[in-house]
Amino acid sequence: MIRFLLTRVVLLAIGLLIASALIFFTLRVLPGDVAQIIAGTQGSPEQVAAIREQLGLNVPLPLQYLDWVGGIVRGDLGTSLVTGTPVVEELTEKATVTVPLALLALVIALLVSVPFGVLAALRRTTATGTAFAVTAQALAAVPVVWAGMILVIVFAVWLGWLPPQGFPRDGWEDPGDAIRSLLLPALTIGVVEGAVLLRFVRSATLEAIGQDYVRTAAASGLTRRRALLTHGLPNVALSVVSVLALQVAGLLVGAVIVEQLFTLPGVGRLLVTNVGNRDLEMVQGAVFVFTAIVLVIGALIDVLARALDPRQREAT
Amino acid sequence: MSRFRRNAVVGLALVAALALTSCTSDGDTGPTGDDDSTVTVGLVLEPTDLDIRRTSGAALEQVLIDNVYEGLVSRTADGGIVDTLAENHEISDDGLTYTFTLNDGVVFHSGDELTVDDVVSSLTTVKDDDSLLDNAIYANVTSIAAEGDDTVVITLSAPDSNFLWNLTGRGGLVFEEDDDTDFSTATNGTGPYTLDRWRQGSSISLARFDDYWGDAAQVSEVVFEYIPDATAGVNAIVAGDIDVLTPVDANLREQVEAVDELTITEGRTTDKYTLAFNNQRAPLDDVRVREALRLAIDHEAIIAAIGGAGIEQGGPIPELDPGFEDLTDVRPFDPERARELLAEAGQSDLALTLTIPNIYATTVSNLLVSQFKDVGVTLTVDSVEFGAWLEDVYQNKDYDLSYVDHLEARDFGNWANPEYYFGYDNPEVQSLFQESIAATDEEQASALLAQAARIVAEDHAGDVLYNATALTAIADGITGFPTDSPNARLDLGELAAE
Repeated sequence: MIRFLLTRVVLLAIGLLIASALIFFTLRVLPGDVAQIIAGTQGSPEQVAAIREQLGLNVPLPLQYLDWVGGIVRGDLGTSLVTGTPVVEELTEKATVTVPLALLALVIALLVSVPFGVLAALRRTTATGTAFAVTAQALAAVPVVWAGMILVIVFAVWLGWLPPQGFPRDGWEDPGDAIRSLLLPALTIGVVEGAVLLRFVRSATLEAIGQDYVRTAAASGLTRRRALLTHGLPNVALSVVSVLALQVAGLLVGAVIVEQLFTLPGVGRLLVTNVGNRDLEMVQGAVFVFTAIVLVIGALIDVLARALDPRQREAT
Repeated sequence: MSRFRRNAVVGLALVAALALTSCTSDGDTGPTGDDDSTVTVGLVLEPTDLDIRRTSGAALEQVLIDNVYEGLVSRTADGGIVDTLAENHEISDDGLTYTFTLNDGVVFHSGDELTVDDVVSSLTTVKDDDSLLDNAIYANVTSIAAEGDDTVVITLSAPDSNFLWNLTGRGGLVFEEDDDTDFSTATNGTGPYTLDRWRQGSSISLARFDDYWGDAAQVSEVVFEYIPDATAGVNAIVAGDIDVLTPVDANLREQVEAVDELTITEGRTTDKYTLAFNNQRAPLDDVRVREALRLAIDHEAIIAAIGGAGIEQGGPIPELDPGFEDLTDVRPFDPERARELLAEAGQSDLALTLTIPNIYATTVSNLLVSQFKDVGVTLTVDSVEFGAWLEDVYQNKDYDLSYVDHLEARDFGNWANPEYYFGYDNPEVQSLFQESIAATDEEQASALLAQAARIVAEDHAGDVLYNATALTAIADGITGFPTDSPNARLDLGELAAE
């Protein structure tokens, strides 16, 4: 197990390093210059040149990259090219919106997918089961933007229950208000992601139903349902957890889109605004953190799956 | 709409609660306005940074000038100039000496009193530092000096009919001498509001400055909420989350009008949605081709497609600016004549690319594609990010046609500058423009501009697809919100809430 953990950590470090290089150099291919954007159409070429120099954009790229990576190791992601605020500070502040949003969306996705997925599998031969499966198929195909618009029209504009956009100006001072403003965005991501997960849960459950151990358990006197619950579901949980790791990326992408749609001051909106401003220091910081989250969760899930599944443990 | 009302009631209750808490916690009572209300204004474009001398963009001027920072003079919503920190000003007959007498009792938000030295140092700093925006407005200035303790005298080497107007911009704003404020995220001006808080990516709050030298603001707080998505903005005002929304997307105005408690106002602007031709590049260097393109455009249809929120503008100068003249007859909608002109120019099978920043909706560019197709011109639309537009079109002039909103007032000079991305080089226009700058009589300056503008229009150097009308949605009970040119300046000195 220790050897396994060690390998996993080394792989993770290599993954992060490759990601950092990809992020840094692909962003540099983007046309557009932050200095020109700061100076705008009112600035002279001399002013643009002066801003470039001042921001250190004339330093050779490999040196800029090493500087950035060196900073990451020390926990410093640099400073915004536009406002000069530290990237870490900015990301931490925005994370107070994005992290709760993603968690809420995850909870909603699980609440949608697990019970209904198992039910859809158990009742696969009935009309209810088919209805679940078809609805999930349809929902999974729905673009997040469209789902969001429909939810806003129904719950904010028609019913007036929830705010149509925005986040309280005092942040989490009134948690009730903050959660109310996150509910629609989280539903938007959660329902779509939940539908995707539902299909996994359903097929994993179906697979479990057909497994020898479930049949054996049923044969040894348990009801079929009981056999599935005690012996089948832990196996379902395993495969769902590994799919979940992949879904984290989906949640984050969902957050980026949904934050635009609902005007939430989170990491996603920060990212989009700063791509527009060509504040690459900020963009690469945010993208790197997103990538790191996905990679780290992937690694954790690997470890978790191994801890949960005796078969995997014994293989080493 | 009862929902709106309910929200309004909740809002009032909240305001009342806030007022109560501020009464109990806040012991000092300054010479405040009589009302403790908060007005929330929905805007689209957020500034990237608050350093107004270094960061370009209208989003910053819109919010900070007149509200937080003030200059000696400022501009009115309909394009005029008024004294602000200056009690009065005098311009010598030869147009070379500007004398400003300062108002008494002006205080900075820091609490320090404004002195004549602050004014001199503010203007001199911009004049001497070419890395600051608007440094160029001081090109003709030979000296900026204090006379006594309330007079500033600016001396020019040559008359500049634009100088006073230019002082209404960011280059003329007055800062405290030797101020060590971090202007990127904080401010220290003399305006009726102080910057309370900037929540990046979300909102900017201004608070009433109780020691303001003039009439104190009537509302205690103004919050600018940045809502980039047009539909989300309309949803927010319909739900009662915000009190004012500007601009309202014309195609969504019906949703706003359906709410009894909301009013839509139509304001004039200097927003010129400009289809620029690269005058330096063949075949656009041929006036017949440029004229053909303009005649192929059905401006009326374009304005209808954007929901009617615009008026036709035939020349380079909009109605609010000096030198305006109706020049729409220069470019009637005449596809037949357009085809003839293209045939004459040997360009019957012309293919062009239109570079357009992706912040603009595709409505107009789609329409242009079909209108140009009708006269045999194949238009390819290249939608790019604004940063890429700045680099490719604005900086490197690598384009055929470009479409952006030129919102700056009095920017005719771009047509007299061959280095500008329009690439329009006409010595006659340049000399008329110079004469207009050198004119010491306002009317004469305008007449010269009008003359130059007519030449630009008849040369078909570019096309203004429309001069935008600004739609602003205002909730009942809110008064004093400026409706003309709201995306250039939002002077909220008169803003009040019932």
